[in-house]
Amino acid sequence: MLYIILAVLCGCITIISMIINSHLSKKIGVFQGAFINYAVGLISTILLLTIVKNSVDLSFSSFDGIPLWALLGGLLGVMVVSASNIVIPKIPTIYTTLLIFIGQLFTGILIDYFRVGFVSKGKIIGGLLILIGLIYNSNVDKKELAA
Amino acid sequence: MSYRTLNFYVSLIEETQLRNGGNLMYKASAIFIGILIAIMVTFNGILANYTDQYVSILIIHMVGFIALIIILILKKEKFKLKKDIPFYLFSGGLIGVFVVFLNNLCFNSLGASLTLSLGIFGQLVLACFIDHYGLFGLNIYKFKKKKIIGFFIILLGLVTMIIY
Repeated sequence: MLYIILAVLCGCITIISMIINSHLSKKIGVFQGAFINYAVGLISTILLLTIVKNSVDLSFSSFDGIPLWALLGGLLGVMVVSASNIVIPKIPTIYTTLLIFIGQLFTGILIDYFRVGFVSKGKIIGGLLILIGLIYNSNVDKKELAA
Repeated sequence: MSYRTLNFYVSLIEETQLRNGGNLMYKASAIFIGILIAIMVTFNGILANYTDQYVSILIIHMVGFIALIIILILKKEKFKLKKDIPFYLFSGGLIGVFVVFLNNLCFNSLGASLTLSLGIFGQLVLACFIDHYGLFGLNIYKFKKKKIIGFFIILLGLVTMIIY
């Protein structure tokens, strides 16, 4: 239950950081905005590390056994931020969440399948219900914008 | 592919877009962004398994930081930091640290699809709240009561995902 609440909370703060980043990139450009974003993130992480940990092992031997692709999440993050800044202004906002969610949901289900070996019916049915709800609300917004 | 042929293809795609009533390419790109996010959350979550919660956040931000330095050098952009930027605009990165932290934590106990779906729900609810009050200097869009129906269906979907 705790993780469920945390995951929802994570979505809430995601949208705040997205809004802040889009304001910032409007002022200084997409990549510089992202640069500031990551610089602040890096500094905050280092501060966090010094608070919670006495020592951090960053020698190469501590990276043994980590597959290279697992290190690429940060790079993907940069791709997501840059692509979002190019794509999102060009499509109506009511579609943005819907389309991004479609990509997330189907990839998420696929990933769960590869990690665990099966996908429960509930995940597929639940995912489709979420999709229906999203489409319904998009239509409500659409009608309001058209009126 | 030469630059000219590339240009030709781009104009061809643009023409098709116009015929299809616009931004099909961008809509496909939005789905692609969703795919990238799902892969990113997975990579980060697995990295946290290999190292630990805090070191993984450090690695993720370092890799992104280095990638951006390379991009900025290649693009030869000049820094525009002199402009008066409100202080709160710098806080996005700080919030990002908590986003990564929570994502990694939840991914390893809830899996990819549930973590992402719950996240979307949080985004939708807060987005409605922000729109309703016009926070962060955004335009005010009053909440439509009809959307409660949509949220109810979404919630039903989440419960189905969690229980089964």
